[in-house]
Amino acid sequence: MKIKHLFFSMLMAFVASTSFLHAQEHASATAQTEQPKSDVYVEKSMTQLASSFYDTTGLKAMISPKEEVANGEGEKMSLFAQSWGRLIMFVIIFFLFYLAIAKGFEPLLLLPIAFGGLLANIPVANMTGDHGMLGIIYNMGIANEFFPLLIFMGVGAMTDFGPLLANPKTALLGGAAQFAIFGSLVGAAALSQYTGLVDFSLQQCSAISIIGGADGPTSIFIASKLAPELMGAIAVAAYSYMALVPVIQPPIMKALTTKEERRIVMKPTRKVHKLEKLIFPLLVIVMTFLVLPDAAPLIGAFVFGNFAKESGVVDRLSNEMQNSLINIVTIFLGLGVGSKLASDKFLVMETLGIMVIGLLAFAAGTAAGVLMAKLMNKFSKEPINPLIGAAGVSAVPMAARVASKVGAEARPGNILLMHAMGPNVAGVIGSAVAAGVLLSIFK
Amino acid sequence: MDIVGESIKFMVLGMLVVFTFIYVLVVLMGVQAKIINKFFPEKKQPMVSSASGAAPGEAAEEESRRIAAIIAAVSEFRKN
Repeated sequence: MKIKHLFFSMLMAFVASTSFLHAQEHASATAQTEQPKSDVYVEKSMTQLASSFYDTTGLKAMISPKEEVANGEGEKMSLFAQSWGRLIMFVIIFFLFYLAIAKGFEPLLLLPIAFGGLLANIPVANMTGDHGMLGIIYNMGIANEFFPLLIFMGVGAMTDFGPLLANPKTALLGGAAQFAIFGSLVGAAALSQYTGLVDFSLQQCSAISIIGGADGPTSIFIASKLAPELMGAIAVAAYSYMALVPVIQPPIMKALTTKEERRIVMKPTRKVHKLEKLIFPLLVIVMTFLVLPDAAPLIGAFVFGNFAKESGVVDRLSNEMQNSLINIVTIFLGLGVGSKLASDKFLVMETLGIMVIGLLAFAAGTAAGVLMAKLMNKFSKEPINPLIGAAGVSAVPMAARVASKVGAEARPGNILLMHAMGPNVAGVIGSAVAAGVLLSIFK
Repeated sequence: MDIVGESIKFMVLGMLVVFTFIYVLVVLMGVQAKIINKFFPEKKQPMVSSASGAAPGEAAEEESRRIAAIIAAVSEFRKN
């Protein structure tokens, strides 16, 4: 418009000399409106340009950190977090990439989480801020605990409660393994109270202890409710230990059982009626609303997915939950959690404490499950192989596979997988119940 | 504040609730299995019982173990 106007008035100047004055007035007016822009920009020499460009680079931000630099949330970052901290985080992140890609440990989650961490540690870009990509994702679904619930829905749609319904007693093993959660709660409290290395509040202790349930979505759900500041460390600990199930569990399982016990053959599971599978989710949700409404979001999403699957009439919905939906949410969840791997959030003493407590919690859960199975084997008419107790930690289906594998080592051809799936899926319910108890305490 | 003492109380409450919840669930699962199989028996059942009845003793166990292995293999395959 302006140019058109200017052009028009210049044309007028050519045509009529009387209008010359007017045209000049107009031109000066447009020049005045452009004034502020030229205010910002002053002429620069090539060296000045180069050095001012260098000031905006990440290299400069890391080599010469400044006091007043703030992170995405507007808190000041320490000099260490801006410089060496970022480098250390890059090393940790590449280690996570290594675990995910070369070792195949939960790549579906570790990879997006690690990449989110990589993006979060880019200086200057401020990706974790409210208007940064990671910040948007975080606020969209993690700060309000939405994504973990969607994941739970998908897990519900993938879960088959058949093995549990065929042998209901094995659910008790899934309950015993939740000792991991409460044992590590006491552990975290003791670490904080007696050593002084870390200073956890009771809420933080509770959020950390959920790692023992070996259930990623539940851990994130609780962490964002009780201790959002520890989210990154808790999620990374939960998922890395879930990925390390085949490494952590077998030695504990072998230490607590004799070879004879590991050789126990269990009766094949009975066939489960279709109606039983259909009614079971309803049973669980009714119990939840009677006893523990605080666990309703988690259990509700879980049994909704399962109900959709078992109903058999909404295969389209159930397939969507099991595939596209859970995949999309996994991408967002991973990146969002990764945003908490920023150096100023992650490189603190608390992270180390969380890692140690998480590992102990995991070991305690495995041990409690195995010991409970040994106890049940003593009193049960039908033999129970204690190894399936280890599957009570809810890392589905990894823990069940590990139990089956260790069993097959002791007696080749002895397949415990279906038996181990029972405690395994009960463990998911058990840790959701335990999470509900902790939430109800802090209401 | 004595957070260790407090957390021990949480542990007692938590384990009690978890166990009670799961125990009630176990009982209900047993009851519903009985009711459902009584009023809506599945038609396939006689076939299964005759198969295990036909092969007595050691052979029956071997057979059932093979079936278990097949089921496990199939479910493992489906998961991947």
